[in-house]
Amino acid sequence: LGTEAQQFVWQGAIPLQIHLHESEVTTLTPPPPALILAPRIGYLPLLVPQIKPYFSSSLPPGADTVWFEYKGFPLKWYIPTGVLFDLLCAEPERPWNLIIHFRGYPGNILTSCEGEDSVKWSFINALKEAAYIITGNCKNIMNMSQSDQAELWRAVLNGQIDAYLPLSSKLKLEIIGDDSSLKSGSSITKSRQGNGEIDSSATGKTACRIPVRLYIRTIDEGIEDLEDAPAVESWDEICYINRPMEIYQEEGERLTLLGAIKALLPETFAQGGSGSNEESGDSPNAGAELLPEATEIKLIRIQGIEPLMEIPFGWVVNNLRNPEHYLHICLYLK
Amino acid sequence: VVVHLRATGDAPILKQTKFKIAGTEKFAKVIDFLRRQLHRETLFVYVNSTFSPSPDELVVDLYNNFGIDGKLLVNYASSMAWG
Repeated sequence: LGTEAQQFVWQGAIPLQIHLHESEVTTLTPPPPALILAPRIGYLPLLVPQIKPYFSSSLPPGADTVWFEYKGFPLKWYIPTGVLFDLLCAEPERPWNLIIHFRGYPGNILTSCEGEDSVKWSFINALKEAAYIITGNCKNIMNMSQSDQAELWRAVLNGQIDAYLPLSSKLKLEIIGDDSSLKSGSSITKSRQGNGEIDSSATGKTACRIPVRLYIRTIDEGIEDLEDAPAVESWDEICYINRPMEIYQEEGERLTLLGAIKALLPETFAQGGSGSNEESGDSPNAGAELLPEATEIKLIRIQGIEPLMEIPFGWVVNNLRNPEHYLHICLYLK
Repeated sequence: VVVHLRATGDAPILKQTKFKIAGTEKFAKVIDFLRRQLHRETLFVYVNSTFSPSPDELVVDLYNNFGIDGKLLVNYASSMAWG
């Protein structure tokens, strides 16, 4: 059940070294940091029950409002842990040193989180968004029985892919076959009501939409080595885009990861002026159409992997997406 | 982006239900606007009567992904309408 790659993704974890923020240490000697293995597909707030025992005796009185920070930068709790790591650690740091706070929630930067229920709510809503993008409605999610929904969440919570897969397949959100072609019946023409944007019926093409979340960091031109890139200080530095990839029947089999990225960011990758891809290093385009301001993809990371740009996009979607059926892509651009 | 606000359940109905908001704004702005207009802290805000997007989502992304007939349909309720 499940491909080898999917198994790897579900087993993937980030070693974390969690330090209690110094302002919350009330004991004479600060407690040693907690060492936790965080599932890539999980979320930081879900780790709190594991972490709290390490620090509970040091905490000042008051109610807990837990949040995490990396180098002074508050972390958005609804972004999967693996994505946060891939995005914020240009050069992977092992273990990843994070600071945990139990007080003083930065409500102006982070949306509120009340533990597991908030994370579950966020997950189910993301799943609904993905279902809407793929099928044009959320009926399959809304029609899930309470127990199915609870079991699906529990499978994600506990990182159990074997429990997750049968429940997920009931939702019929798989649109790309093993050979990267579109599965029949995945046309969206019948489900988009009243929206004239998709012209598939007019041109006779079948199209499908893949939910994608892109996180883009722009690195200064002068920096060659990613480890020299300055740490992110504000969420304004990250360009987050929630945009589906539209794939048409004929091109489905031939669409590569690079092709998908360019299609997702047409405003960044102008026609004919494509930057060099990371595989060939800095080899310049020979053509005279190279724009002086051509954007270069410095790095692309999905589930901690830097996939070759020639890999079929269909494979990437099927194997590297998160449990809520979104594909999260971290891009470093110059 | 044109946003159409619709009350659900026993939530109060607004006098003006259609608004224009810059696509570059976050969904949080719509939520805050509703909270202030309705004088309610607890509000459940949905898109297309189905899901609640994260407040950090950009309005333009939501419109492109889920907009129908040239507008983004936002429903609001005082209790959880669609669990």
